[in-house]
Amino acid sequence: MASMARSTIALPTRSRWSMTCAAVARTLLISALLGVPLVAAQPAAPAPTPGGIGNSDSDTRSYDKRDFSGLWARSPELYGEAPCPECREPVGWPGYGFFGDIPARTEEGQRRMDLNKPARGLELGSAEANARTDLDSGLRRAILPAFGNDPEMRCEPLGLARLITFAGPGAAMELIQQQDRILQTFEWTWDFREIWMDGRRSPNVEDYLPRFNGYSVARWEGDTLVVTSVGFDDRQWIDQHGYPLSSEAVLEERWDRPSPNRLRVQLTLTDPLLYTRPWQASTKVWSLIPKKSMAIAGWSGILEDRCVPSDESMFNQVRDRAAGLGEE
Amino acid sequence: MTILRYRLLWLLAVLAVPASAHHGSSISYDTTKQWTTWARVVQFNYKNPHPTMTFEREVQGGVVEPWVSELLTNPSMLARQGWTKRKSEDALAPGTRVKLTLATSRAGGFSGIVMGIQGEDGAPIVGGGRPAQVPDLDGVPGGLQPEGDTMLPGQPVEGGAP
Repeated sequence: MASMARSTIALPTRSRWSMTCAAVARTLLISALLGVPLVAAQPAAPAPTPGGIGNSDSDTRSYDKRDFSGLWARSPELYGEAPCPECREPVGWPGYGFFGDIPARTEEGQRRMDLNKPARGLELGSAEANARTDLDSGLRRAILPAFGNDPEMRCEPLGLARLITFAGPGAAMELIQQQDRILQTFEWTWDFREIWMDGRRSPNVEDYLPRFNGYSVARWEGDTLVVTSVGFDDRQWIDQHGYPLSSEAVLEERWDRPSPNRLRVQLTLTDPLLYTRPWQASTKVWSLIPKKSMAIAGWSGILEDRCVPSDESMFNQVRDRAAGLGEE
Repeated sequence: MTILRYRLLWLLAVLAVPASAHHGSSISYDTTKQWTTWARVVQFNYKNPHPTMTFEREVQGGVVEPWVSELLTNPSMLARQGWTKRKSEDALAPGTRVKLTLATSRAGGFSGIVMGIQGEDGAPIVGGGRPAQVPDLDGVPGGLQPEGDTMLPGQPVEGGAP
């Protein structure tokens, strides 16, 4: 990275479109800061609230609702862009996760969930965890990471649902859209998946190797892209709270672009082996980040933010010391 | 200016998020009890998921305490703030004297999480903000240690399930 910072890298000339976007964004930001309306007749954006409700994007340019291409992030402030309150998780949830309408587990689902020991969420046995009985028990059982077994802390693949719902600093993603497919790349763990739109059907999962990110096919319903994914490797957690997922799970994603600078998805997990009913997640929203804003020393795009096992192993020695384990 | 303002907003928001979002760290460390101390860097590792640092602090009687620590922030966040790998490693080269804002691990001992770093000139470095009003325990043996023996969440019980 240091050498990258010191190198002079020739970047493609910015397109007129992106320059226009940047100019509009600057103008809008200045306008917002000064409190000066740009165009008196512009409709006010609905008041945004965290958790996917509302839309704070006041950009009224025309755009292609079926074009999801671009760099997207849930913390636009990190890139110097205007805040996006609706990109945050709903108030009251601990951290980030699949959330939403969490269903009861089947007997097998509860058995598998009990085997998973997360380090995120409300601390097991804490006053807050005991008081927040409005939250599912799965969100109130966090233990020290040294005593847990989160696959992320061994650099195992996160799996599709967890990649999508991750909302930490490295939550950026890029969508590269072609006629027959969309390539979705994720910054944290430097992972990707393909969404096929060439008319193929979901595979018979018995015929294929299970995948952490599954097999995704999509179709348009109006301007909503409906993605169906199957064939999951059941070693993954749905999110950082340790909810399990079986190889029979079906994940439906309904993606749309409600305004030029917003992308959102409604996720529904159907996994009758483990859950008593389909599980609809809280709505996730991303903000479009101009290429020039998502750049370090002039090099734009998402980072290669890998989870490297040897790095993780070094970190875990420190983590273990914090739990009183290892050499003093 | 606007970009800086938004980035500052973002940083404040990130710091307000419980450290549980950061590899479960809030549970390992008592971040409600922070303290400051001068220290000398032994080794700094700019790696995922969070940088780690070993350092020494000299306490009363000339005793040198060897500490291990993790940073609250992570490389992607640091890089986006301009603290690239080379720049961070230069700023925290072995032997560098720094003032740290720490939270000790709940298990106690010479283990903590670095909440902020200042150079000798008082400027925040490697993403470290200025310390809040917390006790300065420079030279105090052990710094701020947990009181009493408490069972840590998830800690295996001898002869039983956790």
